[in-house]
Amino acid sequence: MDYYLQQLVIGLSLGMVYALVAIGFTLIFGVLNVVNFAHGEVYTIGAYAGLFVVAAWAPPLAALLLAVLAVGALTGVGLERLAFRPFRRFTDEASLKSRAMREATLMSSLALSIIAREAIELIYGSQFQTVPLKLLLNEPIRLGPVTIVNGDVIIFVTALAMLLALQFVLTRTRVGLSIRAVSNNALGARYVGVDVDRTIAWTFVVGSAMGAVAGILVGLYYGAIFPSMGFNPGVKAFVAMVMGGLSSIPGAVICALIIGVAEALSTIFVASVWQELVAYAFLIVTLIFFPRGIFGGARERV
Amino acid sequence: MSASERPGKGLSRLLTLAILIAVFALAPAALYLAGRSYLYQVANLIMIFALLSASMHLVTGVAGLLQLGHAAFYGVGAYTAALLATRFGLPFPATMPLAGLAAALVAFLVALPTMRLVSIYFAVATLGIGQMLYLIMLNWVDVTKGPNGILLFNALRIFNFDASKPAIAYYVVAVVTVVSILVIHRLSHSYYGNALRALREDDQCAEAMGVETVRLKIQSFTISGFFAGVAGALWAHTAGYVSPADFSFTVSILILSMVVLGGLGSLPGAIVGAVILIGLPELLREFKAGDYRNLIIGLVLFSVILFLPRGLIGEASALDLMRRQFAGAWRRAPDRRGGMGWR
Amino acid sequence: MTALLSIEGVTRRFGGLTAIDDVTASLRHHELVGLIGPNGAGKTTLFNLISGFTPLSAGAIYFKGRRIDRLKPFDIAHLGVGRTFQNLRIFPNMSVFDNVSVGAIGAQGVGVVSTLLRRRGPAEAISEQTWAALRAVGLEAQATELAANLSYGRRKYLEIARALALDPELLILDEPAAGLNDTETQGLADFIRRLHKGGLSILLVEHDMKLVMSICQRVVVLASGRKIADAPPAVVKADPAVLEAYLGVET
Repeated sequence: MDYYLQQLVIGLSLGMVYALVAIGFTLIFGVLNVVNFAHGEVYTIGAYAGLFVVAAWAPPLAALLLAVLAVGALTGVGLERLAFRPFRRFTDEASLKSRAMREATLMSSLALSIIAREAIELIYGSQFQTVPLKLLLNEPIRLGPVTIVNGDVIIFVTALAMLLALQFVLTRTRVGLSIRAVSNNALGARYVGVDVDRTIAWTFVVGSAMGAVAGILVGLYYGAIFPSMGFNPGVKAFVAMVMGGLSSIPGAVICALIIGVAEALSTIFVASVWQELVAYAFLIVTLIFFPRGIFGGARERV
Repeated sequence: MSASERPGKGLSRLLTLAILIAVFALAPAALYLAGRSYLYQVANLIMIFALLSASMHLVTGVAGLLQLGHAAFYGVGAYTAALLATRFGLPFPATMPLAGLAAALVAFLVALPTMRLVSIYFAVATLGIGQMLYLIMLNWVDVTKGPNGILLFNALRIFNFDASKPAIAYYVVAVVTVVSILVIHRLSHSYYGNALRALREDDQCAEAMGVETVRLKIQSFTISGFFAGVAGALWAHTAGYVSPADFSFTVSILILSMVVLGGLGSLPGAIVGAVILIGLPELLREFKAGDYRNLIIGLVLFSVILFLPRGLIGEASALDLMRRQFAGAWRRAPDRRGGMGWR
Repeated sequence: MTALLSIEGVTRRFGGLTAIDDVTASLRHHELVGLIGPNGAGKTTLFNLISGFTPLSAGAIYFKGRRIDRLKPFDIAHLGVGRTFQNLRIFPNMSVFDNVSVGAIGAQGVGVVSTLLRRRGPAEAISEQTWAALRAVGLEAQATELAANLSYGRRKYLEIARALALDPELLILDEPAAGLNDTETQGLADFIRRLHKGGLSILLVEHDMKLVMSICQRVVVLASGRKIADAPPAVVKADPAVLEAYLGVET
């Protein structure tokens, strides 16, 4: 029983990480209807940037997270510039969402993700980076019969805080409102004076910042930072997005938590190496049986 | 009336002849003169990837289905061949067709439920299934020996004849590859190929013209899987070693890059893509730049999409394909029972 | 004589909207019927119902006495219904010949085995049918050209040729004259008349009233999803209900 509870807690914190990554996918999908294949690399870049900051200044955790947030935001801008903007000639809804760019940007972001991963590997090598021990988030915490580590709590709390912050940004700020406007109706947004190009860039900023923070959190949690670390969380977050109905943030978050918990609990039944299969199984089942996402019909936009 | 009597088919004959001469005479002569067995391996690898890229060409270039898990079928073939050879001592002529059939069977089973998915959903489903197969190769240690891989001793045996000498192995790979590519050529340059092209261009419209779209998609996917499996057998028997790393997502992307680089829908393009993307890094390795291999692949893919959307020899612009593929994908379709994302 | 195509009490709802409301109509062998109606009357929806793209909410559709409303589009095509699309849907990256061949392929079918064995029979049949269709529309000289390079007017004929290559008994044309100038429309009218004389039954959905009134034997008028008239052109022209539906906007 205790073991189950423990796995549940681990699953929730894992799920929160996927949720942070999934939000980037979902936001970008909402605005452009494209899949950003380089999103996993943003996560990796977040982790490496965090490591770099730690090595250089050893700041407190909060400052570290802010620094990574900034790096993620910059990465988002660069990514949008390189892999998405070149394919965008018009900013009306038709050419923005249902035309030319879907698969082109899928491949360009894929190409960029290869480039980013390989560049990191050339600079840092393919091996695991060592995270200073004192920074590792694995101090045990005993909660009655259950033992968890402080990383679980920190990840959960940080992610929750970021989700709330996101909610605030999306509903209360100009940028957030324009993101929602563009994802609802790009042409309409344009008519009422929203700068669509800027808004798209901002979407990448917000999404990538969250993805990058997820990267460093996991890096510090497992102490495993390596060039291809972004692939698996990327896939799982993507699955969460598809399960959640593609452009629903609450849907993606809930599904990310489901995937996280399912993965953690799967170790009860099968060897942990098969854990990775869980997300793919969810993906296939969702695609085949619930093409609108598991919450069905109602498709809430961002 | 055969393919050659359809209009505009003169050039391809010449090209075929040129390739045949290059593969069976010029390249072996050059390799013999160079006299390094390492170069034979490179040549084999190029041919194996030419076959992989040609088989993906059929599905992605001709039929327009974005396939992100091709390497998994390659892997299924390679593991089938390796297991049959090591466990049952079957020789190459037996393992090769069986490897192809195993991969085709898996592809068929994958295609059945996923073929009704539209465009990007299909791409993602193939990615997911490719990864699942990869994870099985990696983790089903009892059968696949996991990350350690399987070693084949006396790998390239054709009944009692040992064909593992580099020059002979080269010809074995060349014959299998050339025959396979000719079969793919016959399929893609025929009315059958036209039906597949119609799927790529506008599958709804093709269906209104009486083309059974789903059946054709499943067929082409299965055939493509078969040849990927054959390529896997070639790899297992010439390299003498299979391990999961050779069948990862990166390899799928490598094959996709070959098809995109050569140009969607062009079989010569797919082959040229394979020659460039395998040959170029090997050439660079000579100059001690082998580490940059994947980086180069990424850069090539990126620049092709950005600057050369038709690829080197393509018949369909990648951008164009995307446009049509995706124009319909997200359309709100209240008139379709499955709703969004289904057709 | 029995009807070639009969539509019986067909209804199609999209959510709360009833796009086609209990429409009954028929088309006899060798008849040229026009289907007209103001924008949003449900003409294209009815088209998609006939060709199997959209499922019915109620009613039934028969072709040659066979119920077809549950069939897949390709089955309906096999039975002998060829169609074109309102917004041109040619295959731009294929040659003119290859475009048209798809119709013949649809009718004849293609198989992996016969392709690999290079069986002459099926390929020859496809080739013959393709050339016949190309000749019918006068595109044989441009057979090897890329479809995307054709002029707009020629593409219209390409679409019709592709449908003809199916060797259909019933040809349904969805606004073939859209985007054509007067001379081109006149040419198209002559062409459709020729096809009809050649023995084809044709259902023509059109915006251009002049075209419909000049060539059709009978005109069905839809308004807001309902059939409001079904009579020869001269009668329809004078029908007050039709005039009202159009509010005098059209001729």
